[in-house]
Amino acid sequence: MKDPYDVLGVPKTATPEEIRKAYRQLAKKLHPDLNPGDKRAEERFKEVSVANDLLSDPDKRRRYDAGEIDASGAEKAPPHGPYYREYAGGAGHPYESQGGFADFAEGDDIFAELLRRSREQARRRPGADLHFVLSVPFLDAINGATRTVTLPHGGPLEVTIPAGVEDGQVLRLKGKGEPSPGEGPPGDALVQIVVEPHRFFTREGDDIHLELPITLKEAALGGEVRAPTPTGSVMLKVPRHSNTGDVLRLRGKGVKTRRQAGDELVRLKVTMPTEPDLELDRFLADWTPPAGYDPRKGM
Amino acid sequence: MLDEEEFLKRAELDRTTLEVWIREEWLAPMGSAPRRGFTDMDVARARLIHDLHRNMGVNEAGLDVILHLIDQMHGLRKALAEALATLRERRPQ
Repeated sequence: MKDPYDVLGVPKTATPEEIRKAYRQLAKKLHPDLNPGDKRAEERFKEVSVANDLLSDPDKRRRYDAGEIDASGAEKAPPHGPYYREYAGGAGHPYESQGGFADFAEGDDIFAELLRRSREQARRRPGADLHFVLSVPFLDAINGATRTVTLPHGGPLEVTIPAGVEDGQVLRLKGKGEPSPGEGPPGDALVQIVVEPHRFFTREGDDIHLELPITLKEAALGGEVRAPTPTGSVMLKVPRHSNTGDVLRLRGKGVKTRRQAGDELVRLKVTMPTEPDLELDRFLADWTPPAGYDPRKGM
Repeated sequence: MLDEEEFLKRAELDRTTLEVWIREEWLAPMGSAPRRGFTDMDVARARLIHDLHRNMGVNEAGLDVILHLIDQMHGLRKALAEALATLRERRPQ
């Protein structure tokens, strides 16, 4: 790390005014946006900014002079975001100017022809694509939906969410982007879908997974229980002697895409009553598991 | 595309200054108030104006001239780059 006084070219006794003057002189020469063709300008400008940040703050300067901090302590000068020059070379932005060369394009030499051609290309250039993120409830992503989003500028935009859309998928809405700066077609709107999690459904590929609590009695004796699916509840037959972890398959109740339909996989979970049940206690006190039965065998 | 709130935060601007800058044509957002949209380029341009104004002591009249010349310089750079690219394509192998 260089000595900030050396970087700004001022003596250690420089007044704040002298420091500011030195910084301005250098910044005028080194600011990347005033030197768009100089790739090293950014690095050198940063050095000067760091030195200025340290010396223009009386407290930091005092601590630096006293040896309490070194020049690297100031390296965390607030980062400068991308410079204007990173964007100004792009096409079709509102700050484009041909005032510097319009006269060259009027001749009949080769340079004029090239300029006319690049102007023509600029005129036909399509508008920029618009990117945005749309958060979609889990069930809307499974069943499909229509949502109206409001763009930062311009009118509302209707987005049709196809059934079975996946998290992270990008929908392209043709012609819904920025208008062309010239006479080209508008750009597209690119909508990235973020699927919100559901309270009890999860998705794996085209299958829906669900953990379904059942009572001890339903597990032991079997029976019909109501099971939610993305398109509404259905009655599910729980077989006799079911257990926690058993998976029942509801065919075709998963994600329906245009090509195929997935299944819903219901994982049973035997659940004890939340309130103490004296009758159940009494019954179980009299119950003796068969000899040799040990659910923890092999652990 | 950023909305006005987000833009003001990122560009470290207040609303009154923004109106001045737009009126001076230093910034040109998409659409019109209250539905204005801003790009990352607008943020970088606002930062450049801050650099010139706050740190380098350029006054408003000077800013106007500098921004205009910078835009022309980029126009020229692009025209030159495109002309060179076309020339390179045409050069016989």
